[in-house]
Amino acid sequence: MADEPAAPAVEVSPELAARAKAAGWPEDLIVEALEGGANPDDLVRFMTMGVTPEQARQAIQARGGPGPGGQAGPELDLAWMNVHTEWGTRAKPTNKGLTLEAINIGIYGEVPDRWEYQTEMPRGAIAIAGVEGMGYSVYEKQELWADNAAALYEEAIQRRWRPATDIPWESIEPLPDDIERAICQICTHFSEKAQLEADILSKWEPELSYGYHEIKLYLATTIFEGARHAEVFRKRALSNGGGLGIQSPGWGFRSVTDARNFTEMIMIQMVLQDSFTLVQYQYGEAFAHNQAEKEIFRLAIQDKARHVAYGIAHVKYVLLHRSERRPELYRYLDKGETMLVSDDRDTATREAFAILLGGGKDNIQEGLKKYEELRRRQVQQYLERLSWATIDRKERLNPALRAYVETPEEAATT
Amino acid sequence: MPKFPSVEWFDAVREIVNSDEAFRRLGTVDTTVGVKVGEELFQLDFEAFECTGAREIQESDLRDVDFWLEQSPEDWKEMLDIIQKNGAADLQHTLNTIDLTQPEGFARSYDGYRRDAFYRFNQSLQHFFDASAKVKME
Repeated sequence: MADEPAAPAVEVSPELAARAKAAGWPEDLIVEALEGGANPDDLVRFMTMGVTPEQARQAIQARGGPGPGGQAGPELDLAWMNVHTEWGTRAKPTNKGLTLEAINIGIYGEVPDRWEYQTEMPRGAIAIAGVEGMGYSVYEKQELWADNAAALYEEAIQRRWRPATDIPWESIEPLPDDIERAICQICTHFSEKAQLEADILSKWEPELSYGYHEIKLYLATTIFEGARHAEVFRKRALSNGGGLGIQSPGWGFRSVTDARNFTEMIMIQMVLQDSFTLVQYQYGEAFAHNQAEKEIFRLAIQDKARHVAYGIAHVKYVLLHRSERRPELYRYLDKGETMLVSDDRDTATREAFAILLGGGKDNIQEGLKKYEELRRRQVQQYLERLSWATIDRKERLNPALRAYVETPEEAATT
Repeated sequence: MPKFPSVEWFDAVREIVNSDEAFRRLGTVDTTVGVKVGEELFQLDFEAFECTGAREIQESDLRDVDFWLEQSPEDWKEMLDIIQKNGAADLQHTLNTIDLTQPEGFARSYDGYRRDAFYRFNQSLQHFFDASAKVKME
């Protein structure tokens, strides 16, 4: 009897054996697991989850057999605990809290000129093999960077506002019909433009590689601000007995939607279009009829000025680091200005502004003069910002825009 | 009772806004602002959630501020009188409105980028001057 093999201490049910066979688990592995106290139902579950026989065997060995609970646990690796990132980092909060700039220390603050990874790996983490690419298209710092982006992100987060409750809507009182119609038309235009900006920027967000998270984060705030402006202007249009006006022809929009690279889009949207919109918001505030409109435009001015600040700082960065791109950037402005001038055919918005600035339909001619002054300020501010970015644009400005800032002597020679 | 303009007057307003939760809720403000009233010049420093300082400066110091606010002493008086009377600027006397009504602008700068701080922090700057309604003036 001593020669007879010892009977197994456990029995493998026919059903478990069949499942093991189907999963490619050898019977001796099942026996080993059951002898260690594993529950048959758990083994079936692991097989269903796709755990390989080798993984199961390693787990049993690593645990010295199934644990007291009788369950075969997953393999414990813990190699990640020995990862060679920069350890011991202690970022300190500033008087503005723990900001993005405050955590940009050591290797985590090193922003490479080119990001080499196609995955969503955070800057400063260790790459692993085999991760699928994310399909980004912007990998060079000069294609998207602006030195003020991290600060603008924090500013945008800190200075966010809520149209539903931060605007004193109760201050709005009935207005003459022509004024209400003008404001509603202007709000229709602003709401439409803001939604478009949010859409455009949203499209570009997944194109920007992960190494430049400051830009991705800041861009996320601009998308939200686009949504906020679309919301608040729509709310104003629908809050005082009026309604929406007619849509914009959209010529100016096309130059933004058709942009083929990020810098081109930023130049047309945030440097050109937003610069001009910012002045329109200024006039909206100045000619507001109640405290609600004052607050709407003042808060929108703040958001829009940040967009312009990022855009112009990006342009300056490109020109300082890739000066050979200067002619290319000029062409984007040429194109954008041409389309913007085409928007002057949008008589609805111009006439609505003229009624608002003139104080009524009867004073529309006076309002048109003020609209010309608005246009002059738009061009002036645009040129001053470009000048900061090392672009002297006046001579190359679209003639229809240049007319607003030419002296009589200059006009006589052109 | 501090008179306008003076460091004492600006300090009185600073004290009010720095302990004003509503000012803090407007968010961080990082800018240096010049104030020009006739020949008198002052600099206001804003950092994080506070106005951190006010001091007298010289004309040449205007190159170091982001922008400065300039109008005639009479126009300053009119703006502040209305704020005193209403508790805040009326529709015709907000900082932005004055900026558009002055031929040279109310917010002026030597730098087209730094001037935009006037717009980025406009609501906080308006709140600062509106807070002067709580300062008893000579």
